Amino acid sequence: MKKNEDCAIKVHKVTKKFKVYYDKPNTLKERLCFWKSSNAEERTVLKDISLDINKGEVVALIGTNGSGKSTLLKLMTKIIYPTSGKIITNGKLTSLLELGAGFHDDFTGRENIYFNASIFGLTKNEIEDKMEDIIAFSELGEFIDNPVRTYSSGMYMRLAFSVAINVNADILLIDEILAVGDQHFQDKCFKKLHELKDSDKTIVIVSHNLRSVRQLCKRAIWIKDGVIKIDGEANKVIDQYLEECK
Amino acid sequence: MQLIQNLYQYRELLKSNVKKEIRGKYKGSFLGVLWSFINPLLQVAVYAIVFPYIMRVQTDHYLQYLIIGIIPWTFFTTVINQGMIVVRMNAGIIKKVYFPREILPISVAISGLVNFMISCIIILLFCLFGGIGITWHFLLFPLIGIIQFLFSLGLILALSAINIYVKDTEYIVQFILNLLFYATPILYSSTLFPEKIRWVLQLNPMTEIIDAYRSVFMYHQLPSLEGIIYVLLIALLILFIGLAIFRKLEKGFAEEL
Repeated sequence: MKKNEDCAIKVHKVTKKFKVYYDKPNTLKERLCFWKSSNAEERTVLKDISLDINKGEVVALIGTNGSGKSTLLKLMTKIIYPTSGKIITNGKLTSLLELGAGFHDDFTGRENIYFNASIFGLTKNEIEDKMEDIIAFSELGEFIDNPVRTYSSGMYMRLAFSVAINVNADILLIDEILAVGDQHFQDKCFKKLHELKDSDKTIVIVSHNLRSVRQLCKRAIWIKDGVIKIDGEANKVIDQYLEECK
Repeated sequence: MQLIQNLYQYRELLKSNVKKEIRGKYKGSFLGVLWSFINPLLQVAVYAIVFPYIMRVQTDHYLQYLIIGIIPWTFFTTVINQGMIVVRMNAGIIKKVYFPREILPISVAISGLVNFMISCIIILLFCLFGGIGITWHFLLFPLIGIIQFLFSLGLILALSAINIYVKDTEYIVQFILNLLFYATPILYSSTLFPEKIRWVLQLNPMTEIIDAYRSVFMYHQLPSLEGIIYVLLIALLILFIGLAIFRKLEKGFAEEL
């Protein structure tokens, strides 16, 4: 497999199987007793998927619940690994799968920005440089120096999203979190995403909000039962998807 | 190589994790971090009372002898106990984001090393005021500390990963640690044993390590070269195996947790 410079994410023949246990053996005794007679059932979530995403592309993954979109995204971030096949990513990658990873409730918003940003691999100087941007974007104002546990859920999400979107990654993976905050903040997030799109970042979004997908993405990939059903121009794919959903 | 590059990139995470390990352990307790020094001292007090009077152990400067045994041993067990569960304790972030997972056990080992280096002040104080004195030899202790660090790091890399798949690991290791405490000349001197079987004791890397500390702090001499080379080789071997096991198993962490 040759390394293509324009390619941001290369998914090559990826299959992902999960083991579904009815009664998971956790202890040594159980492991030994049930060595052979495994009560696990294998479930194939993704079947032999191949796709290339080029640098600067904004791609949406659409499909019904349980079709494997989120699994694919998790594979791209290297939280889980494929059963077979290969995924190569090129460039600094940030995922917004679940917001607020590494937040500690007893610490202030400002301290949590440090924790969260350091998990994304930023150094102290980089974090300090971005601190003002992050705080400004979150619009938390004076609340930034209050402990996070005093935040409302909206404020919490706003802070988390502000950190994630300001880490300056080359590739951004977003899983259905555009429903963050109030209307005003959502609009702001969209504006930011459009900005990122124009600055040649690669973005992969999983979303059920098809209207915003149409606005943001040129390309959409419809995943159905673990295989790619259609991959192409966003509007066309979405139209066909809606057709089938009826 | 890849690992060092990763660690360098994520150094901020490593730093804040180490701080969290050091401070977080005793968070909420009245004396806070001081407990990591009080604990071994209390333990020393118990043994210092029990052994000379009840067991009639005759060793010169037994108090110092004990302290130099117990403080490195505490370093070892704290790292193992905390390191073994570190992956499980961080299930939340492991399932949410990617970061080099090795950072978790590494920060436990580093925080243990930092704690130990500070605890060595206690050893020095006891040597100074206990009639033994110190010589330049004690400057070698960080070197022994680093060998011990590598050794324990290798162990917790393997154990923390295995513990995710087989939860019994914690209990088994707990038992082995208890056993090892008596199989290491901490409370007694290895000269109690006849020459013929002493080599069994010497196989235990912790024996060599603790003997080395005693050489530099108490006996004011260089540790035995063969001993140091032996533990260094063992430590590197364990580290290599531990890292290989961790690498192999880390891919399943998010699913198993």
